Parts: sequence; C-alpha cells; structure tokens
Amino acid sequence: MQKESGFLRQELGRGYGLVFQQAWPAWLSGIFLAILAVMLFMWWHAWGVAGGFANWGDWFYHLLGIYDSSPEKSIFLHGMSVSNIGLLVGAFASALLSRQFGVHRAPKFEYLKGLAGGALMGVGAALAAGCNVGGFYSALGMLDLGGFMMMLGLFAGAYLGLLYLLWEMENIGQGATGGQHVDKNKGTDWSKAFPYIGGFVFLLILTSFQAYSWLGHTKMGGVLFLGFLIGLVMHRGRFCFANAFREPFMTGDSTMMRGVIISLILYALGAAAMKWAYIQPPTAGIYHPFWIGSLGGGLIFGFGMLLAGGCGSGSLWRAGEGHLKLWLALAGFFLTNSPVSKFIDQSGLSEYLGQGIFIPNILTWQGGLILFILVLFGLFLLLRWNEETENFVAF
Amino acid sequence: MNLQEIQSDNFLDARGLSCPMPLLKTKKTLKNMNSGEVLELWGTDPGTKNDLSDYCKRNNNEFLGYLDLEEGYTKFYIKVG
Repeated sequence: MQKESGFLRQELGRGYGLVFQQAWPAWLSGIFLAILAVMLFMWWHAWGVAGGFANWGDWFYHLLGIYDSSPEKSIFLHGMSVSNIGLLVGAFASALLSRQFGVHRAPKFEYLKGLAGGALMGVGAALAAGCNVGGFYSALGMLDLGGFMMMLGLFAGAYLGLLYLLWEMENIGQGATGGQHVDKNKGTDWSKAFPYIGGFVFLLILTSFQAYSWLGHTKMGGVLFLGFLIGLVMHRGRFCFANAFREPFMTGDSTMMRGVIISLILYALGAAAMKWAYIQPPTAGIYHPFWIGSLGGGLIFGFGMLLAGGCGSGSLWRAGEGHLKLWLALAGFFLTNSPVSKFIDQSGLSEYLGQGIFIPNILTWQGGLILFILVLFGLFLLLRWNEETENFVAF
Repeated sequence: MNLQEIQSDNFLDARGLSCPMPLLKTKKTLKNMNSGEVLELWGTDPGTKNDLSDYCKRNNNEFLGYLDLEEGYTKFYIKVG
C-alpha cells in the first residue's frame, strides 16, 4: 500500500512539475487554445474579449450617471464579460500555482503607457468589431475575411509601435528604475502558500460553475470555466499576440506567431466542421467590417498593444499575474471602447467601415478552407525566411 | 560556473519594466558591446527568463544564467558571442 501511495505522489509531483514549473512551448499552448476556442464555440458562441470590456465600460459610465440607460446584462451574465473574468482568474490561479504571481509595480511613465495603450486598443477594437481575439483570432477561426485585414493592420501597427518604443528609448530617458523591488523579508513570505491558494481558486471556480447551474445559468457557468482554462493555458505558454506581431520586427523570431498559425488552422477546421454540419449556423461570428474597419482598427490596436505590452487577452492574463501596468491598460481599454462603440453604432459610421464576408460564400467550403490554409502557410514561410535573413527587423 | 563571481562589463537595470522593454533594451545594449564581454541585467518580469535564453540561443550569445535574489528581483548574465 505504501508503495502505491509513494508512486501516486511521485506521479502527481511529476505532473505538477510538467504543467506548472516549465513554461509551455508556444505551439502547445496554441493547440490547447484552439481546442478550448472550438469548445467555447460549440457550447456558446465564438470567443471574444472586447465585448466584455465594452460591457464593463457601459456599467462604469452608467454608474457615474453619464449613460442614462442601464446595460442590458450584468457583468456576471454577459458572455464575454464572464469569459474575461474566467480568463483573469485562470491566469491568477496559474501564476500562483507556478509561483510567478507578484504585485509587479512599474515606473510612472510605464503606467501612462499602459493607460494610453489600453485607450488606443479600445478605439481600435471598436473600429474592428473586436480586439486581437474577436477581431482577428476568432474572426479567422469563423472564416470571416475581415480577420485577414485586421492581421495586416496589426502587423503594421506593431511595426509603428516598435519604432515608437525605439524612439522613446533614445529620447525619453527613464533612468534606472531602482526601488521597484519588493522586500520579501518583511512579514510572512506568502510565496510558499501560493500553490495552495491557486488550488483554492480552482475549487472556487468549480463552485461558481455549480452555483451558476443552480441559478439556471449553466451556460454562463461553462463560459466562466472555459475562460478559466483559457487563462491558464495562455499564462503557462505566455501566449501573447503582441509578441507574435512584434517579434518578427524586433528580433526576427517568429516562434509565437507560428504558434498562432497552428492554433488558427485548428480553430478554423474545428469551427468549420461545426458550421458545415449545421451544429452552429454557418454565418455565426461573421460581422467583422471588411475592410476599412478591420484594417484601420487593427492598425490602431497594434500600436496600442505595443505601448501597453499586452493585447486584449494578454493584458487580461498579465493583470492576473499581478502587473499593475496591465490593470491600467484594461481600464484604458474599457474607458474608450464603450463610448467609441456606441458612437460607431449610432452615428451610422459602421456603414462606411465595411461588413462581414464569409469566405466559403465566395469560394465554397472546399476552396475557402484550402485557400485559408495556403495563406497561413505562406505567412509561415515568409516568417521563417525572415528568421534567416532578418529582412523585416527594424534595428 | 559560479554566477556570484562573474565580473560584468556592462550593466542594465530593467526592474519594474515589463515585456517587451527588458528584451528591447538588452538587444540595443548588446549591439554596442564587444565579443566576450558580459552584460548584467536586473529585471522583475517573469517572462524575461524565457525571452532572454531564447534570444541568446538565436543570436549566438551565451546565456550564462540567472540569480533570483531575496530582494525580489533577478540578475541575468549574458556573454556576447
């Protein structure tokens, strides 16, 4: 008996080390992310982040008395808000379990960049009808042509953002950032308890799922749980769209973008299977403004995510890891996204931004899927070539 | 190699900065250093550990390792290739 329990403990320890001690490679996170995104699409609808921020902004302005009408849904029943909460909590639990959590303070100027970057991302996401997740990742997973336009915009925006960061390094001296360190000798060292707190947070999420069920909102409970898993997967792989769009210009490295490409192909195939078989309507998630909204929004969003150091989903998981700068990015995001989205809706501007185009409607299912994969494969080759030659590297 | 005994030739304080600033500053600093010199970097972002070792692998620099300090930050050592 003792032998067996020793074996079990050893195996559990090994599993824990495998999941929470080593960082996951980008491709592995990408594969898990695609599986979770397809599950979310099957369970509810296509994954998005910005819509949840818009909901938080709506509530914020309503409670301040600036918006007259109250938002339709509470933050606990708005799907994207719920999956955002799940993602944040998932990253928090994951950071605790891997002992990477910490309240990370930053120099004042960095806070300003977080807020400004978040505000730009809010504007960009409003124009593109989604952030890097809804407007790019899920748009392409759903086979909406606007996703490709946002991809071009994001590359261009990330390039400009990188040029800005280089300029800033030369011209705005931030000096040493000393004094930012935490004095761990003061009081109790909590970091030893982190994995247990992380485990407790996991139980809390399971309980919340059950509580949603009791209240008759099983669907939202599942969205919370899937969001939690997405947060964990993204944190463990440090899965970062800002990194994916920036590195080809900064160091030439395309490891993260190749992870995104693998993820996109799996996501699109999974979603296509569900749409083709009418498990979900074929035009589900097809509303991205091709091409002006997606391209322009991607450009502004890309610039903003370089300033903030995180995209829509990346800001969420980094906030969960304890980075105060990224909390400000989240605030900037919902402060602009809500009013700009409203303005685009009400002013009729949306007509000029474009409309959703379902790729299989133009090219049939077969042609559309083949071309979709070929385009991404072409991008893969281009990135590999850039890794060898560093032709696109900015400095 | 005992990291505590390393004599570094150049030093960069990136404490409090988050991705991508530590790597960006490192890349820029390494450009102005000579082969064989050692850069010492102080940082607090958990992502830097992977970022730096991957970057060094790709660019023929030698990632000598890091020390997690009690004070809550990490010292990294890179030898220019």
